Amino acid sequence: MTIVYRLKNVVKERLIDGVGFRLVVPDIQISAKENIALIGHSGCGKSTLLDILALISKPDALDQMSLHPVDGDSHDIAKLWEHDKQSPLSQIRKQHIGYVLQSGGLLPYLTVRENIELPRKLLNLPDDDSIKSISRVLGIDRQLDKLPGLLSAGERQRASFARALSHRPSILIADEPTAALDPITAQKIMAVVMEVIRGLNITLITASHDWAGVYKMELRTLKQESEVIDDGKVYQSRFSD
Amino acid sequence: MAQISSIVRLSFRDYSHEWRMSGCFILALSSVLAPMMILFGLKFGIVSTMLDQLIENPTNREIKPVGSGRYNDAWIDRFRERADVEFIIPKTRALAATIQLKSNTANRILSTELLATAVGDPLLSRSTRFPKGYNEVILSQSAAKKINVNPGDEIDASLARQFQGKRERVHLPINVIDIADVSVTSRNVAFVSLDLLIASELFKDGRAVKDLSWGGDSEASTERIYPSFRLYARSIYDVEKLVNDLEKEGAKIKANVAEIATVQSIDQNLTVIFWIIACVGAIGFSFSLGASLWANVDRKRKELSVLRLIGFKSGRIVMFPVLQSFYTAILGWLLAVLVYLGFEHLINYFLAPRLNLDRALCFLLTEHFLWALGVTVVVAISAAILGGARAAGIEPSEGLREI
Repeated sequence: MTIVYRLKNVVKERLIDGVGFRLVVPDIQISAKENIALIGHSGCGKSTLLDILALISKPDALDQMSLHPVDGDSHDIAKLWEHDKQSPLSQIRKQHIGYVLQSGGLLPYLTVRENIELPRKLLNLPDDDSIKSISRVLGIDRQLDKLPGLLSAGERQRASFARALSHRPSILIADEPTAALDPITAQKIMAVVMEVIRGLNITLITASHDWAGVYKMELRTLKQESEVIDDGKVYQSRFSD
Repeated sequence: MAQISSIVRLSFRDYSHEWRMSGCFILALSSVLAPMMILFGLKFGIVSTMLDQLIENPTNREIKPVGSGRYNDAWIDRFRERADVEFIIPKTRALAATIQLKSNTANRILSTELLATAVGDPLLSRSTRFPKGYNEVILSQSAAKKINVNPGDEIDASLARQFQGKRERVHLPINVIDIADVSVTSRNVAFVSLDLLIASELFKDGRAVKDLSWGGDSEASTERIYPSFRLYARSIYDVEKLVNDLEKEGAKIKANVAEIATVQSIDQNLTVIFWIIACVGAIGFSFSLGASLWANVDRKRKELSVLRLIGFKSGRIVMFPVLQSFYTAILGWLLAVLVYLGFEHLINYFLAPRLNLDRALCFLLTEHFLWALGVTVVVAISAAILGGARAAGIEPSEGLREI
């Protein structure tokens, strides 16, 4: 099985309200088509790790970070970060990664259709039926010409999934995508999304508080441990296989 | 290219979607720019016009010889060729430079001072024709009124002399080609060609004037000497040097040196005051515009982060606020121009008649509007580039969580 992500000794540090936070990833491997869940309490670094995996946050230290989104396409991400090569990182992200934010992150001045089309346009992909079909599967085909502000929270999140999947990425990263929804809606959306992901052979990495939901969707979880170090000055969170 | 066209489209869509906020930025810009334009319009209109009138007033630029001198044609020509001399023409003796005028529409005979004139005479700057030969004249307003004539009328000019014990008078038909503006002089003056002025002096000196068949002693072949001249410096700033040069050549000179110093001082002080106000205003305008656009970029950080997440490159992201600032600059400038034009109309309509000005009190040239546009666009884009570069330099992950 192809290893999509390989991370070794990745560290990200930040200062939050005068308290140090350190995310440590000693060694993680994520295989193609795997569905991974990062589970942990608020502030344990789930979003930070997702940002690192989505190539939008630069680790402060790393021994290895490689990405093989599809067969025959391999990237030494550690080297790209080391030389601050933003352009190739942006290209990889644009082509291979779909990202769903907790709040959706739809651009408020574009219609739902235009939001969904945007990643495809950036890749110069042809206008085909994919927008319609993904919208139909996610149940938002009747909302395509509306602005995001006119949609319900659930519809906005479905549209956000549609945008993340419209260009057929090989990796989907979702940061607590259903946290703002009621449990029934959240369950419905995730069921549909899981069906789509399995159908398209996409690797899913998601963060969640919802243990029950994660077990129900049969996602592999990464182990998270936390400790306070440096005489209480630093909160350290560690994710491992 | 796909990214560039997408950014242009997205920036415009966002700009029009947030039309209230965009409108506020446009209003903010025009509310700073319009008063600057009105200030400059007034400076360019009233202040410059009045100063130009003072500076360009021929009376202030006239250099008058005191008493009688001896100036030949070569001397006059030498000064005529100087760059700092706008106009010079000889004068004959005052007693010989008078003529009697009579028209068919007035009963009186008017004794009038003769002054030579020619093309370029600053005293007659509004005249389009100048007297040539012996039969054309431009009359001062006072003289024309007294003998009741208008341009195009023919009048009788006559000169008298005591020659060989007899009193003689010669008559000359003269066409009034123009009437000088009332501001030129309040005296009775006939502006004629230098030929006629010389003919008048020759006749009164008892000499013959062949061209006019006036009898008398034959003219001596020696060179002509003039006792005086009428000289105007090119600008008031040239007067001092000309006075010095003339005095070095032995001429006794009178010029409005004190008045010139006053005018120069007013000109310099007002220019300095205007530029201080303009600079302070321009700096304030730049900071105000820059700060508001910077704040706007900061406000957009979240959406710019989403664009980076989707795959837009940092350089393209900078274009987003730059384009929006460009729209603000263009529309704000347009609104400021409209506001300015409204005020210009009001000022010129209501205030100009009260000040008895025959020209606009407040006005700007096309190039002034274009300068304002250029400065506005440059300031707006510079501020947006700084803000945009800052936004593009921040990790997208930092902005994303705020959405």
